[in-house]
Amino acid sequence: MVRFRSVEKVSDEKLRPEDAPPGLYDDQGNPRFFADPGMDRFVAVVMNLAQEVWVQEERLLALEEAKSGDAIDRDAKAKEFIDRVFAPIREA
Amino acid sequence: MTVELQHPMKADATPDEVARGRFVSGMRSLILNDLAGDMRSAYERRAAPAFKKKHGREPESSREAHQALRGDPAFNIYSAMRVQAQKMVWASVADSVERESDRLASEAEKAAGALGSLELDPALEVPKNVHAIDVHLMPGSYTRGADSLEAGAVYDRGLAVFSMGLMGANLDDIGLSMSQYIKQRHPDFAPQRILDTGCTIGHNTLPWKQAYPDAEVIAIDAAPGPLAYGSARAKMQGQEVAFRQMCADDLAFEDESFDIVWSSMFLHELSKKQRAKAFDEAYRVLKPGGLVIHMELPPNEQMGAFDGFYLDWDSYYNNEPYYKGYRDEVPRELCTRAGFADDQFFDFVVPSIGIYGDQAVADAAKGDRAEGVCQETTGRLAEGVMWYGFGAWKK
Ligand SMILES: C[S@@+](CC[C@H](N)C(=O)[O-])C[C@H]1O[C@@H](n2cnc3c(N)ncnc32)[C@H](O)[C@@H]1O
Repeated sequence: MVRFRSVEKVSDEKLRPEDAPPGLYDDQGNPRFFADPGMDRFVAVVMNLAQEVWVQEERLLALEEAKSGDAIDRDAKAKEFIDRVFAPIREA
Repeated sequence: MTVELQHPMKADATPDEVARGRFVSGMRSLILNDLAGDMRSAYERRAAPAFKKKHGREPESSREAHQALRGDPAFNIYSAMRVQAQKMVWASVADSVERESDRLASEAEKAAGALGSLELDPALEVPKNVHAIDVHLMPGSYTRGADSLEAGAVYDRGLAVFSMGLMGANLDDIGLSMSQYIKQRHPDFAPQRILDTGCTIGHNTLPWKQAYPDAEVIAIDAAPGPLAYGSARAKMQGQEVAFRQMCADDLAFEDESFDIVWSSMFLHELSKKQRAKAFDEAYRVLKPGGLVIHMELPPNEQMGAFDGFYLDWDSYYNNEPYYKGYRDEVPRELCTRAGFADDQFFDFVVPSIGIYGDQAVADAAKGDRAEGVCQETTGRLAEGVMWYGFGAWKK
């Protein structure tokens, strides 16, 4: 059993630093950064998608490893992959 | 770098889950190293000059640096990606924690007979800063799964992904670096009783038991689940620690009963009022000659506008509502207001023992008050991290 010190309307209360201008968040309370709010969602989608591609990549690496018998440095491969995919944002 | 936890409650993750975690660590590394660097150069090249044009001077505070950066493309991409990467940290461990809840419980059961103890207080009202917001976007916050092992497992596994290897395999780099610093700087100090406040799963408690094996070590937190997990984790690692559910701003200990009151990454999660009370309580429970010591983010007063805002970012965008308020306070005043003498205050910077090695910590302990509070690497989880700490001796 856990007792909670009561808060009015816990679920929709958003604690924010006192000086946070309201324009930092959308009407759901999520932080927003881009002029077009769709962009904030879109960045997240691209990251999720890249993660899914990387998961497939690791499956292939496992097959390659099994075939060749040589161990593959997955951390190093992941870094190369991420650097390659996200190179364009380095120009922001 | 991928971290593998050092105890039987580590995830029995599928290859896909391991790949997801590795990807998130890699993304965070890109964001916190490369994109952070891009944002700084955009600030210098674009944002600060634009601010100057409008106001006739450079941004002077964290708040003004924030104002200057809002809307800058490098700030936008850094921020949007950091928010999503943070959500991905917790998402990457959720499935394995859920699937393994029975196994975790049985592992904990197996270790139950080892030295150490757990005392929960079902009557304690968990304060709202612990349960009413998803602190650092962690779903369900510290009370997820009530007093089960769930919140602790999410935290432990999540931190392994989050830390990119910079907190060590046992996630104890902060505790190791700081306890070694104190032990080597004060070789005659022999604490008998040590208290960790806001210990979560005790990952930075254990190093104090290792540094002072004869001391009785007690670790408290307001959230029950992480304590249950932390107790099992400590037992599995053969470290005798007493975990107790309690609020740091209302300690159930006698006056003058501890030699050290320690915390790490804790003060910034308290409201200003709770924080002041926690300092009063620390002063009260310390024996004369005892030491209060906190590892924390370095304060705004010691940093430039950009570096200050770089840390304050979490307050606005990572569900850390008290972070900036904490960083705007002055560590020395937090101590003196609670009764510590002004000349007993000190602050310092310790190089991460995992990155720089034992000798670097020993050198820091021998040196003058470490320089480098205002260095870029201080308090920032990124390549070359150094930890900021402060404390005071009770006369
Ligand atoms: C970021 S975690 C600290 C982590 C840990 N000490 C470390 O070294 O990484 C903050 C912890 O403080 C706890 N906490 C917050 N307010 C508290 C209070 N008033 N009393 C005790 N614990 C509290 C939370 O439950 C949470 O476990």
